[in-house]
Amino acid sequence: MAVSKKTLIIVAAIIVIAAIAAAFMFSKKPAPQAESVIIIGTTDKVTDLDPANAYDFFTWEVLSNIMSGYFQYEPGTLELKPALVSSYEVEDGGKVWILHLKKGLKFSDGTELTAEVAKWSIDRVARIKGDPSWFVLDFVDKVEVVDKYTLKITLKSPVSFYKAVLAVPTYFPVSPQSYPADKISSDNTAGGIGPYRIVKWERDQELVLEANPNWYGPAPKTKKIIIKFYKDATALRLALESGEIDIAWRTLNPSDILSLKESGKYNVVEGNGAFIRYIVFNTKIPPFDKKEVRQALAAALCREKIAKEVFLGTVEPLYSLVPKGLWSHIDAFKDKYGATQNLDLARQLLQKAGYSEGNKLKVELWYTPSHYGSTEADLAAKIKECWEATGMVEVTIKSAEWSTYLQMTRKGQLPVTLYGWYPDYIDPDNFLYPFLHTGSNRWLGNPYSNPEMDKLLEEAQVAPDQATRAKLYEKVQQMLAEDAPIVPIFQGKLYAVTQKDVKGVVLDPYMLLRYWIIYKG
Amino acid sequence: MASLRAYILARVLLTIPMVLILLTIVFFIMRVLPGNPVLAMVGMKASEEQIKMLERELGLDKPLWQQYLDYLWGLLHGDLGRSMIWGRRPVLQEIWDHFPATVELAVAGFTVSVLLGLVTGAVAAVKRGTLVDAALRVWGILAYALFIPLLGMFFQLVFGVWLHWFPVAGRKNPLIDVPRVTGFYIIDSILAGNPWGVADALWHLALPSLTLGIVLSGIYTRLVRTSMLQVLGEDFVRALRARGIPEDRILFGHVLKNAFIPVLTMMGLQFALLLAGAVLTETTFSWPGLGTFLVERIEYRDYTTVQGTIVFYALLVSTVSLVVDVVYAYIDPRIRY
Repeated sequence: MAVSKKTLIIVAAIIVIAAIAAAFMFSKKPAPQAESVIIIGTTDKVTDLDPANAYDFFTWEVLSNIMSGYFQYEPGTLELKPALVSSYEVEDGGKVWILHLKKGLKFSDGTELTAEVAKWSIDRVARIKGDPSWFVLDFVDKVEVVDKYTLKITLKSPVSFYKAVLAVPTYFPVSPQSYPADKISSDNTAGGIGPYRIVKWERDQELVLEANPNWYGPAPKTKKIIIKFYKDATALRLALESGEIDIAWRTLNPSDILSLKESGKYNVVEGNGAFIRYIVFNTKIPPFDKKEVRQALAAALCREKIAKEVFLGTVEPLYSLVPKGLWSHIDAFKDKYGATQNLDLARQLLQKAGYSEGNKLKVELWYTPSHYGSTEADLAAKIKECWEATGMVEVTIKSAEWSTYLQMTRKGQLPVTLYGWYPDYIDPDNFLYPFLHTGSNRWLGNPYSNPEMDKLLEEAQVAPDQATRAKLYEKVQQMLAEDAPIVPIFQGKLYAVTQKDVKGVVLDPYMLLRYWIIYKG
Repeated sequence: MASLRAYILARVLLTIPMVLILLTIVFFIMRVLPGNPVLAMVGMKASEEQIKMLERELGLDKPLWQQYLDYLWGLLHGDLGRSMIWGRRPVLQEIWDHFPATVELAVAGFTVSVLLGLVTGAVAAVKRGTLVDAALRVWGILAYALFIPLLGMFFQLVFGVWLHWFPVAGRKNPLIDVPRVTGFYIIDSILAGNPWGVADALWHLALPSLTLGIVLSGIYTRLVRTSMLQVLGEDFVRALRARGIPEDRILFGHVLKNAFIPVLTMMGLQFALLLAGAVLTETTFSWPGLGTFLVERIEYRDYTTVQGTIVFYALLVSTVSLVVDVVYAYIDPRIRY
């Protein structure tokens, strides 16, 4: 039967009116909950909820809130305090660590944290050989149970910073009743002994945490934390502006951070991150085997322009691989080449290396387009501009997707690359040894080897006190600036943008948010 | 009917070599690309020994032909394998985690595009030669040329941020708890007896489906207009007018029905493509669908997930295409297979 036009128009009008009414009905936020809730939006992701395999920062952040380690950083500082341990001793020059566990701590399945369970957890990491297992395998010789609450860890060789290693999520103990002994359990929501527990987990959509009733410490200030995952930094910003989320964290675009700051409607919390970016010269590929070439390019780098024009001031120029704020940091590259672009020095060095305006140094600069964010192409373009300002350098920019980039780097095929580094543990060793020690920098294609440097780094690993270690690391940084196989560019700042009523967001070089101190008020 | 049955059987049988060829192409292309899932997953810091151990675990150390045959053997047993990254979840589970979201967006976007396209195309045909017709034809081209992220962001800003009428992104309000049964939030909310869940799911679907629907409607505007004009020129329409049948009845009772057949083909193709995931829409609205999931897994060189998802798509597209052809046969008695 044919339907009249009038009827169709009426039906269509009803549908439109109903849709608008529904929209208005739902345009208000849900009624306030009886319990307190904070919603955090992020473009990052949780990859693997098993500490034996988790090895990315955001997953570590979540694990740090649903589990604990033997030591924990005091918020706002780099001070490591005992967490699951009540006390500890270090013997044999740093080779033996005796941990006395707090008594009566329980996992959510009722299992008590004993030395047996702690040993099982550490052995499990070694057995599974997941991504971060090197934290155990590279350091630990054996783990022994001394008594019910005392654990003895004997290292392969003494290491001064092992306390910082013990604080990484890989060492977080898990319950043998909830985690399998010898395989990865990526979607396991059992958690550990932490201020929160997971009540809901929908991969790439949302993660819901609630205060853990078994937590031994002070109750979290907010009972419920919801993490909403976004695919796009712009959507994250818009979600904050529409009030759908309370905190936008990891990672807003620099332009969005500035614009949100200027609006005055939000708290823009800024902190010094320990995330660094740098240029790597493969010293096995000519002409980067010539020190003058590397030094010239180090002198010609315009860090301030990069920080201002590419990142809109959301990063800070860096003059060493050790980030500012970490003990032993010195501005080694500033001391050697100057704080700003030093074109005169760069040209002198290039001439010494046999280059001129008629015979330019040809540089193939590689970057990876998405792994470090959408600003990467701009960063490469700005570095090209810096170097070509000498009039004696010609830069060709090339790119490869992350997986390909890694493979080509490891094979030593790329002459000049851009990379970044999030520390595994907060110690100068982690910012120097993996880059500069022969063999340890295989992940960068073994770009550099200097026996004198190796010796300094090895000595600093075992030196008994911080002052001695600091002196050694200062020498390492000076040598680094002299040889310039790796040139630091900038240090990331951390930004979390929150609604005005959100408090307790602490950003420090640990770079992981502690949800338990965040609240609305 | 017997010929239709034979046709269906032939189509089903043809799907097998089609999927096999597609799978083989994808299998070898993925492995020819530089980079591998182990490196992409473990990143920079893993040792060579660790990388080699993981490659052995994943069977990547075997010769290519052996990896291919192993995979085919698994496929024959209905096993799409396990993801090569992040905990190695079964590929079917990974697909099922994301497919319901894709279906929801596809159905909603598709509905908007067809309705809008039908209305604008029909009006343009009826008002042929007028300013309305010209405007709607321009609209058809403009709509299709619109860049989804741009339109999407515009809607997010206006309807989400300024007016607070709709959420800017995501699939549901995390404060509304609906237990996951099927993965389709609307169905799960109905099963849980939670009307707010249903409303919330629809509310979150509004902007992404509107964005997607508007852009896709452009094709239908032009197609419906052309098709209707063709039918309007037919003798039977002249005969109907001569018999004094009201214009409304002619248009909606006869012309539209006959003009619908070529549109149906396009609808089938469009819907199948939408089920493959609308990557730009998913990214703009943080919609956890299969499109962005597949792109991510390609970047990580997750061979088994990419292969499994492509096999899934191939089967889906063939099924949808077959259904469209069968529906065709029922609608148009002239069509015989």
